[in-house]
Amino acid sequence: MSTLLEIKGLTKKYSAGTIALNGIDLQVKSKEFIAVIGPSGAGKSTLLRCINRLVEPSSGSIEFEGDRVDQASARELRRVRSNIGMIFQHYNLVNRLSVLENVLHGRLGYMSSIAGMFSRYSEEDKKKSIALLHKVGLENEIYKRADELSGGQKQRVGVCRALAQQPRLILADEPIASLDPKSSAIVMDAIHRNCVEQGIACLVNLHQVEVAKQYASRIIGIKNGMMVFDGPPEALTDYYAALIYEGKESQMYAGGEQQDRRYA
Amino acid sequence: MKIPISHKATRRNQRWFFAIMIVLFIPCAFYLKLSYSQFMDGVGRVPDIVKQFLHISLEDLPTLLTELLTSLIIAFLSVIISVFLSLLLSFLIADSTAPNRLIAKGLRLIVVIVRTIPTTIWVLLAVASMGFGSMAGVLGLLFPTTSFLIKSFTAQIDETGKDSVEAIRALGGTWWHVVFNGAIPTLYTTFLALIAFNFEITVAETVILGMVGAGGIGVLLQEYISYYEFAPLLMGILVVFITLFILELVTNRIRKRLADNAR
Repeated sequence: MSTLLEIKGLTKKYSAGTIALNGIDLQVKSKEFIAVIGPSGAGKSTLLRCINRLVEPSSGSIEFEGDRVDQASARELRRVRSNIGMIFQHYNLVNRLSVLENVLHGRLGYMSSIAGMFSRYSEEDKKKSIALLHKVGLENEIYKRADELSGGQKQRVGVCRALAQQPRLILADEPIASLDPKSSAIVMDAIHRNCVEQGIACLVNLHQVEVAKQYASRIIGIKNGMMVFDGPPEALTDYYAALIYEGKESQMYAGGEQQDRRYA
Repeated sequence: MKIPISHKATRRNQRWFFAIMIVLFIPCAFYLKLSYSQFMDGVGRVPDIVKQFLHISLEDLPTLLTELLTSLIIAFLSVIISVFLSLLLSFLIADSTAPNRLIAKGLRLIVVIVRTIPTTIWVLLAVASMGFGSMAGVLGLLFPTTSFLIKSFTAQIDETGKDSVEAIRALGGTWWHVVFNGAIPTLYTTFLALIAFNFEITVAETVILGMVGAGGIGVLLQEYISYYEFAPLLMGILVVFITLFILELVTNRIRKRLADNAR
């Protein structure tokens, strides 16, 4: 397996002075399914967003398929991003557009500004997008408006949008943190199955240790912006899990985030 | 001794506030030479003026309506032009879509300056350079209307549009994709509601600004006032009142429907 992504000494300081990431080194090989676990505020989200530079890293190097992402020009960066899919906690769909249009957005990275602005997607792309929606069980929702869907359905649209990019890597930032357990299972299955089938590597941020263990081929633990665990799921014993979540044990279990949100 | 119940600092603040208000009021009233006798004289004349007002004449109605139409057209044109300008500029200014921070900052500063200058001043400036008439009205309204829309649009882009903007950026879309495929579809109804609201304000403003020479029905009202022609003045006021009333009903309706639609 070849190295797809290589991160060295990645640091992110926010202007307020908080250090979100403190020297992360990480190698991702192609087809790996990596779960990133850690309590909220540990820097998981910042880590993913630094990889496609939605957040500008402060220092360190990021290499994706041999290209330096951190030094990429605007044009190169767009090319890199078009090869990296992203799935968001709050789905980040365009609510007023149809489900199909949202999935087709995955193709924008390969289109000119003009073609994209006027939604001139190829018939080929449309066919593929519809096939993706069939695959995740949304064949009856293709022409619905995105805001008519339930949370679980929206996230499956988010997954399809990422897959429509035909990416080499998918970054999933807390994809199931806003979902109930049943929808969570459906969404995680959809991500995992498609990544394995199409040989896509995946970095997925998760709160819940047991979900991470169920799907991941490798687990990374992050705490206070530093990597404190890196190994196969079997190696993540209760001892390590307790270490990662020290002081924030309540977040180890499913629904921790949901409860936070309910009381927020 | 009774048990105190209030928050001490808050109550102290309130007392200070009222004390200062009263202390300031007395010298201010003297400064403007507000006198009770002048007030009573004026009140004595009220019945007479009301009588004059009540001679409603339909004679001037056609002129009033034509000028009202001019006012509405002035408002409409300046809003439409402002929408184009502000759509263009908002995406250059909003934090989540600005392509260049420095340019965004500069533009933001200009908008702030434009906003601090009152609409009447803008129209007076326009009248001074363009002469009396509709041209001055449209031009003078353009500045405050555009800056109002830019401010509302940018706030919405950074608040409501953020998620979809992030998604389109993440998948490698260009700036145009971010704006046209992400932000605009998301914000479409919000923008329409803001524009409807802005049109309503602008119509009200056009009426007043006609009085300083920007064309439209305000010019007529100004003439009636200066010649003490109370009968057609009342008619004019009625026409304006009814128009603004209907406009408010309609725009409220539109905004409500848009809000329901956007949920």
